[in-house]
Amino acid sequence: MKLRLSKTISCDLLILGAGGAGLRCAAEVLEKRPGTKVVAITKVAHPQKSHTSTAQGGLAAVDPKDPVDKPVYHMFDTWKGSDCMADQNVVRKIVEAGWDEILWLENRGMHFSRDMDGRLAKRTFGGHTINFGEASAYRAVFEADRTGKGIMDTLWGEVLRGGISFIHQSMATELLFSGERCAGAMVFCQKSGEFVAIKAKAVVLAMGGCGQVFKVTTNCRQNTGDHLSLAVQAGLPVMDPEAVQFHPTGIVGPGILASETLRSVGGILRNRDLEAFMEKYAPKMRELAPRDLVARAIETEIREGKGVFNQDHSIEHVWIDLRHLPEHVHRTQIPEVASFFKKFVNVDSRKELCPIRPSNHYHMGGVPTNSDGEVLRDPQKTVPGLFAVGECACASFHGFNRLGTNSLLELITMGRFAGQKALEYLEGELPELCGDIGENTFQTFAAYLQTKGQAKVGDVREKLRALMTEKVGVFRVEGGLREAVTQIAELKAQAMEIALVTRDLAMNQELVERWELDNLLTSAMLIATGALHRKDSRGGHFREDYPQRSPDLDSHSLLYMEEFGKVKIEKKPVDMSLFNEGGPHAEKFGMIERKY
Amino acid sequence: MSDSYEITMKILRYDPSTKKRWTQQYRLQAGGILRLTDLFRKINMEQDPSLAWNSSCEHGQCGSCAVKVNGKPLLACELLVANAVKLFGINQFFIEPISVGPVVRDLIVDLEPAYGRVESLKPYIMKRKENLYGTAEYRIAPQEMESYLEATRCINCFCCATACMSGPKNFLGPNAIMASMVRVLDPREAATEQRLSVLHGPEGVRHCHTSRACSQVCPKEIDVAHYVALAKAAQTKKHRET
Repeated sequence: MKLRLSKTISCDLLILGAGGAGLRCAAEVLEKRPGTKVVAITKVAHPQKSHTSTAQGGLAAVDPKDPVDKPVYHMFDTWKGSDCMADQNVVRKIVEAGWDEILWLENRGMHFSRDMDGRLAKRTFGGHTINFGEASAYRAVFEADRTGKGIMDTLWGEVLRGGISFIHQSMATELLFSGERCAGAMVFCQKSGEFVAIKAKAVVLAMGGCGQVFKVTTNCRQNTGDHLSLAVQAGLPVMDPEAVQFHPTGIVGPGILASETLRSVGGILRNRDLEAFMEKYAPKMRELAPRDLVARAIETEIREGKGVFNQDHSIEHVWIDLRHLPEHVHRTQIPEVASFFKKFVNVDSRKELCPIRPSNHYHMGGVPTNSDGEVLRDPQKTVPGLFAVGECACASFHGFNRLGTNSLLELITMGRFAGQKALEYLEGELPELCGDIGENTFQTFAAYLQTKGQAKVGDVREKLRALMTEKVGVFRVEGGLREAVTQIAELKAQAMEIALVTRDLAMNQELVERWELDNLLTSAMLIATGALHRKDSRGGHFREDYPQRSPDLDSHSLLYMEEFGKVKIEKKPVDMSLFNEGGPHAEKFGMIERKY
Repeated sequence: MSDSYEITMKILRYDPSTKKRWTQQYRLQAGGILRLTDLFRKINMEQDPSLAWNSSCEHGQCGSCAVKVNGKPLLACELLVANAVKLFGINQFFIEPISVGPVVRDLIVDLEPAYGRVESLKPYIMKRKENLYGTAEYRIAPQEMESYLEATRCINCFCCATACMSGPKNFLGPNAIMASMVRVLDPREAATEQRLSVLHGPEGVRHCHTSRACSQVCPKEIDVAHYVALAKAAQTKKHRET
């Protein structure tokens, strides 16, 4: 079988991924340089279907008119939450830009919720405080319980106005270079089954996360870590992939997020014997202890055989008990989440126990960038013409643990910064591509279509997801991680034996899932190897054999993997400019303890 | 916990390489708390990897998985087996793609033309009203937002457009009209007249039969017909004024 290039097209700016970060970047360029030819590739049917649209809570930013809140408090909360692994130059830049972004969105029609005076309403969120932990900060602006959707709809409108071109249901399979400079990408258009080379003066990776690598995740179906594969195949590193956040209360089965509100209104976690087990783990804070602690408590109960198993969900869970809460709490404070239980697991939270378990939620690591969103080739050098933004990137605003409402802030600010920086490339000539254009892609896809064997995409994928949840999930330990690395390699070998039933190219869902499986395997290998290498515990990464933070590991890891399973690791120091510059609150930005 | 059901899924299939269309039957045993998207995945894993279907978030927030089940447009990720059996009073489901664009393969529809109708109505502020721009946010009282807030929950799943009696041929469709009405009602928008003239134009609200099918099938329970009616009312008002 000979696959071939259908056509080559050119543009000024190529955005791979059309979620919040990618479209904010596009909007910046289209506003500052009207008439720029921007092409955005999205794997979903339309940008409105992107994962950003599912974000509920809010968007953190300090209002300069606020009489009590200050940017330095937000910087401190982010630094502390990150378990001292965020890069402080990035933290400062994003926090200081936050409010301008809120105004940008508001002025362009986002329907933010308002207070009685018609001003932007604000609410509190876990980990956000004033005066360095003294009290909760009213810092999150929001659009009801659909803030992400509000952002997406606004950005979609703005880029339409600017004249963007979308290529829907398509995916980038390979980055293309002109010498050292990134100059485009190979794209597989699912609907037509065509391979297209797109040349560009600048390329932005904005491809979201890799949550599908775990069995229960709050992520969309298409979040399969394609960006990590693209990066390592191009010889570029991935930073801190082991930094994975698990939300303690995902609704078992679909993995839908059951908000922290359930615990704050008095929900009680119970095991199979209906024992209220949080008393054992956090006698004072109980259900209100931090996310990672509660997630570990639930996992411990499950591991001790006190979980509940339902065949339909094929994974164990515990209960959250809301039955004792007064009717008005169900009706006015948790109606949305209560409706999720009703809709997705057929449970009436007023009368029945609700099934929940820790669910994969967010990946703090990703393709490393500087504070302008430029991708790093190594700790010092950037890749000319290549940017990365949003969850797929790691400028390290979140370090090893992300605070709620900080991801939306990050993706729009970094989108803007990358757009501003990309403008510098747009004035020059279109670089010429070198090498056999798309040859790697054609070989890979031809192999997928021609392989004969007994293995099945779904089987290998589900084995991988179960393995990652068991051995590289909330708890990690040397032996388990070693087994995981070995077994991921075995699953990779099994994947090479997958024969597809559908052999033509147009809208071949099997082919796409086969390609995604390879990306999941790559992501899993990077996460597991990163976790094996990091012999300490911090933020979302918890090693039972090394439960404390180790000062020897106060640095980021850059993982290179040009050949599957052969990982090379380099270190990159954490930027501590706020500490080193010695400003009035410098001591708060040292290697502090993360206690709440 | 949940019961197990003997389910028959009859799925309308389409193969773009042969242009063949046929109905394929799958029998499966499924727990009552599985959703239709889970069943599609189960079919892919256990019986037929070639069945193509669409989804993204799989929790009712993106609208990618809209299909017709026994004639009713709905989101496959939201329909639990137990509820489906209760809703239709039968364990047999006929599943076909929504009818707002050409089918690409099996249950996957090309949404380009359907979204094109929404995008032609410019789902953004066309002309900003003068108001402190650049210095601060607009002030909008919550009561003022009440008139259109419900409509901003629309996810463009096109269930309403699928159920609409007028069909997509010469009609912009209920969700597209609603998206434009959001900006008509938005106090930040100055191009209200321009919007209404399109809504009252040849592909606009005149095609609406007022069947309210759009409101009845909306998975987000938005009263879509109400917004179409507001667009019509604006026209009536204008007639009276002239």
